[in-house]
Amino acid sequence: MSPRTAPRLIDFLGAFATGGLLTLMVWFNGTLAVTGSLYFASFVPHLTGSVVAIVVLLALRPTKATTVRAPWWAYLGGVSGALTVMVTSATMNTALAISGTIALGLAGQMLFSLAADKWGVMGLPQRDPTPRDMAALGLILAGSLILIFFGGR
Amino acid sequence: MLGWAVLAVIGGVLVSLSRQINGRLSLSTSALHSSYWNHVVGLVFITVVGLAVGGLWTGEPFAAPWWAYLGGPVGFVFIAASSWAITRIGAARTALLIIAGQMISGVVLDIALGTAGNPWARVGGVALILAGMIVARTPPPRGAAATLDNPPQHK
Repeated sequence: MSPRTAPRLIDFLGAFATGGLLTLMVWFNGTLAVTGSLYFASFVPHLTGSVVAIVVLLALRPTKATTVRAPWWAYLGGVSGALTVMVTSATMNTALAISGTIALGLAGQMLFSLAADKWGVMGLPQRDPTPRDMAALGLILAGSLILIFFGGR
Repeated sequence: MLGWAVLAVIGGVLVSLSRQINGRLSLSTSALHSSYWNHVVGLVFITVVGLAVGGLWTGEPFAAPWWAYLGGPVGFVFIAASSWAITRIGAARTALLIIAGQMISGVVLDIALGTAGNPWARVGGVALILAGMIVARTPPPRGAAATLDNPPQHK
């Protein structure tokens, strides 16, 4: 209910498991892109995801946290997500290739999310990154870059 | 070249921006609602762009194996879980843990599918990521100022 609950182990494990879902999505959607267009590879998961979303909302009828209406821009996360597909599809076909696109994408994610925490942008809780966060960031990014650039062969 | 590199960084910024926006919507509604809106609005957007630019149906769109069409249900859970996490552990740690989960499960999938790879890089990369996760998972010090890690009792 309240966003201001202390982080628990389950929160960390949940976020980690969520990253595993991303691997499945990349695998499934990437397979679509082998025979279909990149638009199609983004269109299909949005379509089937919308169908599942409608079924889940009708079945579970989750309660809303507040009766106060969210700002209009809070409904536009899907646009940003769809734009991501177009941007990465373009850079993947340059000298950056997939590895460079992913590596620079990680940098973009960390830059934005650190700033977002620092200033609590868009109404999410403000949180100052700690030295331990930065150490974790260094270790995880180093491990990721090794996998991206040297894990292939 | 530099332009493409900047664009690739922007691609990552868009990922986090989307997560931030969906997280904000989930604060007013629920994580499931935020995933619903993400998919419906994204579907309308990608359809309009795909039809305007053209090329939505090029190639052989229905030649893929059946399971390749299941990315949507996975994506629905993914967005809901992302909204759930970002409001609880913050944007940076959510991004880091999702990256960690993606990287490690990617290695597992590669091994399961028999994809060739450098075993030393795989072991070293996974070990560094696991070490980073252990470092990230530490409780706040006693008496620390009220933060997201150490929430006030009211408000």
